[in-house]
Amino acid sequence: MYLELSHLKKRFGEKEVVQDLSLSLERGELLCILGSSGCGKTTTLNMIGGFLAPDGGTIRLDGQDITALPPERRPVTTVFQSYSLFPHMSVLQNVMYGLKFQSCGKAAAREKGMKYLDMVGLTDYAGARIHEISGGQQQRVALARALIVEPKLCLLDEPFCNLDAALRVKMRAELKKLQRELDMTMVFVTHDQEEAMILSDSMAIMEQGRLIQNDTPYHIYRHPAGDFVKEFLNLDELVWKEDGTMMKIIKKPDAPEGERI
Amino acid sequence: MNDRSGSASAKRASRDALFRACGYGLDKLLLLALLGSVCLFVFYPMLCILLRSFQGGGSFGTGAYQAVWEQYRVNLWNSIFVGALTAVFCTILSVSTALFIATRRGWVRLLCMGLLLITMVSPPFVSSLAYIQLYGRRGWITYRLLHLSWDPYNCWGVIWMQSISFVPLNALFLGGILSKLDGGSLQAARDLGASPAAILRDIVLPLMRPGILVSLLLSFVRSLADFGTPVIIGGRFSTIASEIYLQLVGYSNLEKASAMNMFLLLPSIAAFFLYRYLLRQSDRLTEGSRGRQEGLELKLSRCGPMGAAAIGVSMLFFGMMVLQYGCIFLSGFLKSTRGKYAFTTRYLEQLLKYDASTMLRSIWYALIVSLAGTLFAILFSYYMERRHVPGRSFFDCLVTLPYMLPGTCFGIGYILAFNSQPLKLTGTAVIVLANMLFKQLPTCTKICTATLTQVPESLERAARDLGGGPFAVMRDVILPSLRPAFLSCFVYNFSSSMTTAGAILFLINPGKKLAVFKLFDAVYAGDYALASLISTLIIVIVLAVEGLAYLISWKAARPRVS
Repeated sequence: MYLELSHLKKRFGEKEVVQDLSLSLERGELLCILGSSGCGKTTTLNMIGGFLAPDGGTIRLDGQDITALPPERRPVTTVFQSYSLFPHMSVLQNVMYGLKFQSCGKAAAREKGMKYLDMVGLTDYAGARIHEISGGQQQRVALARALIVEPKLCLLDEPFCNLDAALRVKMRAELKKLQRELDMTMVFVTHDQEEAMILSDSMAIMEQGRLIQNDTPYHIYRHPAGDFVKEFLNLDELVWKEDGTMMKIIKKPDAPEGERI
Repeated sequence: MNDRSGSASAKRASRDALFRACGYGLDKLLLLALLGSVCLFVFYPMLCILLRSFQGGGSFGTGAYQAVWEQYRVNLWNSIFVGALTAVFCTILSVSTALFIATRRGWVRLLCMGLLLITMVSPPFVSSLAYIQLYGRRGWITYRLLHLSWDPYNCWGVIWMQSISFVPLNALFLGGILSKLDGGSLQAARDLGASPAAILRDIVLPLMRPGILVSLLLSFVRSLADFGTPVIIGGRFSTIASEIYLQLVGYSNLEKASAMNMFLLLPSIAAFFLYRYLLRQSDRLTEGSRGRQEGLELKLSRCGPMGAAAIGVSMLFFGMMVLQYGCIFLSGFLKSTRGKYAFTTRYLEQLLKYDASTMLRSIWYALIVSLAGTLFAILFSYYMERRHVPGRSFFDCLVTLPYMLPGTCFGIGYILAFNSQPLKLTGTAVIVLANMLFKQLPTCTKICTATLTQVPESLERAARDLGGGPFAVMRDVILPSLRPAFLSCFVYNFSSSMTTAGAILFLINPGKKLAVFKLFDAVYAGDYALASLISTLIIVIVLAVEGLAYLISWKAARPRVS
């Protein structure tokens, strides 16, 4: 396995936020960690990124134990929920920043920066300041900035939750395309069932710090591990294609007032 | 509907109408009074200085300016030289100190904040006083410890002392910016492979840049306006500000002093506009950040040479502070006989016997200014922020004017404006109180306005919508939300009134001295034990009153469940 979390534990004071979590992921796949707020998904992500030290367990990436490495030395990058772009730098400077710490010449870094900006469709904004571009564009800059250092693993912490619904759908498709093109391994954290179903190659459902089910979306649909998963995912609303990819989600109208009683 | 209820409601309606008419009249009257007093106590004195400065040399013209330019060009250069160096030194100290405090947690942080707090409530001449006692001709360190004989009265002493004494304000200001920095940016940089040193260089310092420029600017302006330090430890070295003091107190030459003030005024006003621009820039860099965190996630000790330098410089500063306050607190209670020191309460007894009334008067004045000034600021910012008064930007500018004026300038303006009938106020308490109030008003209005803008206007509408009149809105929505602002204003007003000297020195009636005035006298006369004691007392009083204010507001703010 490319990424292996085994028996991860984390507690804040009395509260066990992550309890004995084991997960694995193949190279080039996208894992969605799905759960309601407070289930420990972001804590898990922070442990993989190196921002939190686990109380127990190990994290292995590409055969190397990275549990004790600080974030700056992990071959892992993060797209933060609030983007966390550097407000005093231009779009291009933001994208190029990570290359400063790799042996990469100025000119080469610039070229690569422009290439990645092209990939996310922002070449026209290379010189713009961060506060001059829209939320969706900031999202793309954050994505390019995380991908340019060619990490072994890219983490995304609810990256689309600040975008409006239409833009979110568009960004999903772009992200999936980019991930396939670059053959990038990604871990994506979200509380949006629809997003998880559409994006993921593999899905992990968490509840109160525990892993409930980890499988492909189609398998989870076919064999949900209990009523919690069934209810949480609203499985009745999904329609599938023959090949196992999801076709669409049908929102059923609520039962009329009178019948509910 | 019967008749009785109909007539009752008609009665109530007419009473409401009367009430509203009265309220309307009161409202307008209040507004007029506020605006009128701002004009009278800010605009008019400034106008007087401007006019007077053109009346030197007999007739109306630029005679006084020419005389000043010819005669005091050296002082002008001295002012600029001292100001520039002070700005640089002070900013280096401030940035290091702010970084040190922001990256620490626990008791070290608390201790450092405590030290800064003490320096914030100290009277202005404390560092000069300590300087003479520690490094003077008979200084504890230079003479008794190192047996040096040197002359400490020169421009380097002035520069060094000004740098040290401007640090606390700058450090707190920069600390505010650091606490608003987006922790996410730091995390993101780390995530991309940046070492702590790289984070400091690429992220933290660039984001502080507008703040650093503000610190440079404010230190420069404050150094220009500071006359106490050069008068006390400058020796033969004098700046424009210290020369103004001399012209005024020594020769009572108002024309010359006015003209010299204009030389200080212009750079101050220019600096102010630059300052506002920089603040806006800084806000833009920190807006949308993830908000407050406990401390900066950065270990200075791992930040390479720059981090080490920051630690070293801040240690130097805190060391100096400890020495300075240790010296002040001790020397009020030490008696020296032939080089041997013994504990004594003689000075304290003397002070309490002869000058208790001075101390009490200071406290009394400070309390009056605190309450009146805070109320004024609340009302003023409410009208400006919510009522869309015509000419708002003019009055906003006017009320901030004293913030950029050197204290001497504001003081001379008052002498010129209120020295003749029908507005003869010189020698009374009113002129002193008004001067303190309006000098401190800009900061208070800023605090109140900042708080008010956080109360959404929809909250007022909700109160109106539910049946509350304008007075109910004021009582139930505006005032409660201003409680923290009230406390900040009160504390700021009180400590400023107890410790600022600039303007008041010229306005005070010799029969009715204040503590700061007495302190200046004592330092100037070389009575260092008395001066140290007065400083200590002022610090203790201000801390006690502020502690009490916090305690009361904390008790009052606790939710009452019955």
